[in-house]
Amino acid sequence: MKTLKTLVIALVVLAIAPAMTAQTVDEIINNYFENTGGIDAWNKVEGAKMVGSANQGGMEIPVTMYQTTDGKQMIQINFQGQQMTMLSFDGENMWSTNMMTMAAEKSDTETTENMKKNMGSFPSPFLNYKEKGFQAEYLGKETKEGAEVFKVKLTMQPIMVDGKEQPNVSFFYFDTENYVPIMSETEIPSGPMKGQMAISTFSDYQEVDGLYFPFSLSMAGQAIDMKEIKLNPEVDNAMFAFPEDKK
Amino acid sequence: MKKVLIPILSVLFAIPFVGTAQEEISLKGKELFGDMRARHIGPALMSGRINDLEMHPTNPRIIYTGTAGGGVWKSNDGGATFAPIFDEHVQSIGVVTLDPKDPDNTIWVGTGETWTRNSVSVGDGLFKSTDGGSNFKEVPGFENSERITSVVINPNNTNEMYVGVLGALWSDSTDRGVYKSSDGGKSWDKILYVGPSTGASDVIMDPNNPSVLYTSMWQFRRSGWGFNSGGLNSALYKSTDSGATWNKIHSGFPSGKLGRIAIAVAPSDSNILYSVLETEDKSKNGLWKSKDAGKSWEHLNNDFGLVVRPFYFSRIVIDPNNPDIVLKGGLSGSISRDGGKTFKSLGNMHSDIHDLAFHINDSDMIFSGTDGGIYRSWNGGTTFEIVENLPLSQFYHISVDDAKPYNVYGGLQDNGSWYGPSTSPGGVNARDWNSVGYGDGFRVLKHPTKNIVYSEMQGAENVWRYDIDRNRTKTIQPLPKKGDAELRFNWNAPMAVSAHQPDRFYMGSQFLHVSEDMGDTWKIISPDLTTNDKSKQDQSKSGGLSVDNSGAENHTTIFTIAESPLDGNILWVGTDDGNVQVTQDGGKSWNNVTKNLTGIPANTWVYHIEASVHGKGTAYAVFEGHSSGDMKPYAMKTTDFGKTWKSIISPDIQDNAFVRNIQEDYVNENLLFLGTEMGLYVSIDGGKNWSHFTNNMPPVAVHFIDMQKQTNDIVMGTHGRGVIIIDDISPLRELNQNILSKDVHFFKSSPFTMTEDSGFAGSFGAETQFVGANKSTAARIVYYLKKRHTFGKMIMEIQDMQGNKITSLSPGKSKGINVVDWNFNTVNPKMAAAKTLSFGGFTSPRVPEGKYKVVLQKGKDTYEQMIETTYDKNSITTVADRKKQEALTKEMFDMVEDLAYMVYEIGEMQSKAKEVIDANGKGTKDAQKLWDELENLRTDLVITTGDNYVASAEPELRERMGELYSNVATSYDNVSGRLMQNYELIKEEFTKEQTRFATIKEKEGKKFKKALDKAGMEAPNLKSKEEFLKKD
Repeated sequence: MKTLKTLVIALVVLAIAPAMTAQTVDEIINNYFENTGGIDAWNKVEGAKMVGSANQGGMEIPVTMYQTTDGKQMIQINFQGQQMTMLSFDGENMWSTNMMTMAAEKSDTETTENMKKNMGSFPSPFLNYKEKGFQAEYLGKETKEGAEVFKVKLTMQPIMVDGKEQPNVSFFYFDTENYVPIMSETEIPSGPMKGQMAISTFSDYQEVDGLYFPFSLSMAGQAIDMKEIKLNPEVDNAMFAFPEDKK
Repeated sequence: MKKVLIPILSVLFAIPFVGTAQEEISLKGKELFGDMRARHIGPALMSGRINDLEMHPTNPRIIYTGTAGGGVWKSNDGGATFAPIFDEHVQSIGVVTLDPKDPDNTIWVGTGETWTRNSVSVGDGLFKSTDGGSNFKEVPGFENSERITSVVINPNNTNEMYVGVLGALWSDSTDRGVYKSSDGGKSWDKILYVGPSTGASDVIMDPNNPSVLYTSMWQFRRSGWGFNSGGLNSALYKSTDSGATWNKIHSGFPSGKLGRIAIAVAPSDSNILYSVLETEDKSKNGLWKSKDAGKSWEHLNNDFGLVVRPFYFSRIVIDPNNPDIVLKGGLSGSISRDGGKTFKSLGNMHSDIHDLAFHINDSDMIFSGTDGGIYRSWNGGTTFEIVENLPLSQFYHISVDDAKPYNVYGGLQDNGSWYGPSTSPGGVNARDWNSVGYGDGFRVLKHPTKNIVYSEMQGAENVWRYDIDRNRTKTIQPLPKKGDAELRFNWNAPMAVSAHQPDRFYMGSQFLHVSEDMGDTWKIISPDLTTNDKSKQDQSKSGGLSVDNSGAENHTTIFTIAESPLDGNILWVGTDDGNVQVTQDGGKSWNNVTKNLTGIPANTWVYHIEASVHGKGTAYAVFEGHSSGDMKPYAMKTTDFGKTWKSIISPDIQDNAFVRNIQEDYVNENLLFLGTEMGLYVSIDGGKNWSHFTNNMPPVAVHFIDMQKQTNDIVMGTHGRGVIIIDDISPLRELNQNILSKDVHFFKSSPFTMTEDSGFAGSFGAETQFVGANKSTAARIVYYLKKRHTFGKMIMEIQDMQGNKITSLSPGKSKGINVVDWNFNTVNPKMAAAKTLSFGGFTSPRVPEGKYKVVLQKGKDTYEQMIETTYDKNSITTVADRKKQEALTKEMFDMVEDLAYMVYEIGEMQSKAKEVIDANGKGTKDAQKLWDELENLRTDLVITTGDNYVASAEPELRERMGELYSNVATSYDNVSGRLMQNYELIKEEFTKEQTRFATIKEKEGKKFKKALDKAGMEAPNLKSKEEFLKKD
């Protein structure tokens, strides 16, 4: 009933006194968690296995992702019976499959260290963000995807880019109607697109064990559709580890 | 509980709307356009005017530039490439300044370019970012500043800062002067003000003593027909008490009027100042130096490079490590290495250098901001190379042709005339653009039927007719004949081609000229259509202290010519001094309808007239008075040949967004596009409401809009961001209350051509070059959503007309218009599993020509739309051959999947055999026999060793089959003999392997089965073929 109450209050505020819609960033974040299952339920999440697919010009690429609250993660795709790890991180090493040799290779130290510094972003970087040392700031209303949104700036731990420290800032846009994020923007830190914004969109929120997750994501124009999200799956820590003998 | 959240949400959110269900849905705002986005095609090869360069004080990788008309750009890679960071705000920039204590985050942007040529854009205040440029907020207090030259911050106390406001170029202003804040910009005091015509052209701080400030004040004014630099109020001031008191430091300067003054203090020696003066005494113009912090001055140099066009080039930059090395902006730019005694020109680069900057650690590296972008030198200014990804091109005019893909033609400020394709293999590259004129470029028009282009340079000094096929150029500008008055052409002289007589060509001086032979002979068909006000015609003295008669101020001229698309005898003419004239008899008689323009101030520049396709008497005229200080938007419509006019401007348009162009839709009379100084506005109700178009469209000055008739594309010539295109605006024609009230609405589409172009596109240089975005060749599925889809499943499929799924697409979920591309592909075949990848298997065949259903499932509701695809009319094959290709593609697709299933069966059987072998009990021998036979077969079918690169194994049947499948599926041609022969070979081989597999199953398989039965073990549990091949 808590959810309902929050929504009713929000609606009353919106409907009766449009001038009184001043928001604090914590109200936005709390409403998000309350509307999508409740903060207690979110705090019980330890990990997730997400199975979906990315469509590229008629080719469905099966994608499997694992993420845990202690920072481990893995993204695997499957082509023609070949499992390829696009990214795996066990808290210490980050690695991926080289597409030429099909063998595992470690990421460079800087990238790995940046990953280590920002391990608290699952299930949401906003969950207990203060304890993680992140900062959130409400910047005002905007229109994104045609909808009215609250713009929130998220600052995570600074990262190193080509040997120099750089702030790690992204912007999240929460729909003012239901307080769930529908878009994020992150500055691309290095590479040929450096300095430009990587835009992700979130939609098709659906319930998984009482929590709402976006089942449709679009990252830099590439859509990924989830077929199944399993919470707190059994994970063997070894599967995240760099396979020393895989050469 | 949570399962009921969705129904609850929908019920709750329905409540507030119950009472207002009948209310009109707004026809404006950002949400109208959804994800209909503009794309930028540059060009960047000649870039555009730079106003300011700003180096990060400690991190040499970071450089900012404030551009004249294209916003603020940031480099994170030491100047190799730049990215725009100011696209939500006015694009005309005066200065960019970083906070000395917090240069990573705090950025100040003063808007309004400060090198005040005739064609400058206007600024819109002072902005600040506190997050490294991700977001900017306007700082109150500078709303009417128009041009900000300086933002200066005390490095010891960054709350103390100064802003120099040059102010309005074309009118008096009391907003000019020097402002100070002691609280980081929250509140401001004007601490130096001289008068309404004298602004702060530079404010600088002694880096070693922040209480010492220098300010140059400049008396100046521009009008539509002249420029004046200089006056008794121009002066150089110094303050030693943080701006509380100011004193002139003119000791040694000549008396009398002064013009624009440049000032710089040597970072390494505060006593050394350099200044550049514009005075009444020519011999005293140029460089002055003080060695005692301004107490006395010595005149050093009046070479051309030091005195040239002070209003345009008053910038001195001193090497931070050596007070004797001095750079000066100019036509070529100059460098002195002897403390200003002598100068040499900087190395070759685009002319007109406005700002220069030394690398913070290495003075051999110099950055230069020119009329043609940013250049870098690695050798102290001798050799320069251009930054290749700054698409800042400043168009005065553009036009399009009807080629496929169509070309865009246009002329650029100080960068000639060009044409280039609207789309090109690999994107629109620098090499795609073709030069068709020198000097400043303006209007460029394609002959309606011949491969001939008309172009011009400033003041119609040359008008060229360029025969592209023969590569021949001829000048054709109208010349006076005996008895003619002296012809007055605008700097940006109007020309027009006829829609009724292909060889007919118009030009305007004060008269309308017509040629029936592409410009070889001319006839004047009007009286002087301007006010012929003599007081606006003497440009020989324009410039003030330094005469500046470039032709840019020529006035009382015709500026726009519009021939009615419905009747070649109806011609409209608009003049720069406010006249609208119309003839309905091909020029025999003219009607001056200026007096009917209620609400337009007298003599307001008629920038564009658009003769409508919707009625002979219908026309639009836009007016702009910025050159008299009137920035208000004006646009009028008449339906009776100008007898009566009504304004089509609404308060939705920003009040300083003066209008330069209007484009009507050729189908829906109510759909209008307005090009303003602050970007593009769109109306879908004939001008009652306007929406600012901001999807990938900065509020850049839009000088000209054209609409390409075959594609329904809106093509904009912007003055600072090149050519910007909105593809296919036809959905906007359909929008009305009925559609806006629907949850989902699919817009109509014409049949989509499945383009078969298959050329090559080298991407050489694309690492650091701007590459323009291409037009999609896919089917555009366009629909409207009343609300943003956030909760629940929403999927989109393409189905055949019987409802069989062909492929799935990722639908857009924005409120408003959504655009989803379908590239006509189905799905790729399932390939047999192997050690490496068979790249042929990544091919998805195209669908045949025909009708298809788009099915959108949103929650419980399903919406359908029929679309049609057609074969490419330029195809090199026949329909009969194509059907053969499609049939063979299908056969190969199935063969590839048959093989995949066979390999799957083999694998499953092998696993079972392995199980028995590992158990090492009864039947091990039979199992091993079976496993071995299967493995022999498998290694002939698929690759089982090696990698995807140079350690790859020899291709097996799967790889060769996949390759053939891909070759057949992607060739939009008849199936050639070599493919057929290869097909026979592979088919035969596959049949042989199928037989081999059947024999193994029959022999070893049966034995193994018996062994399994004996051991009480189950046979392998195989998926059916259908199940195995099922695609999600």
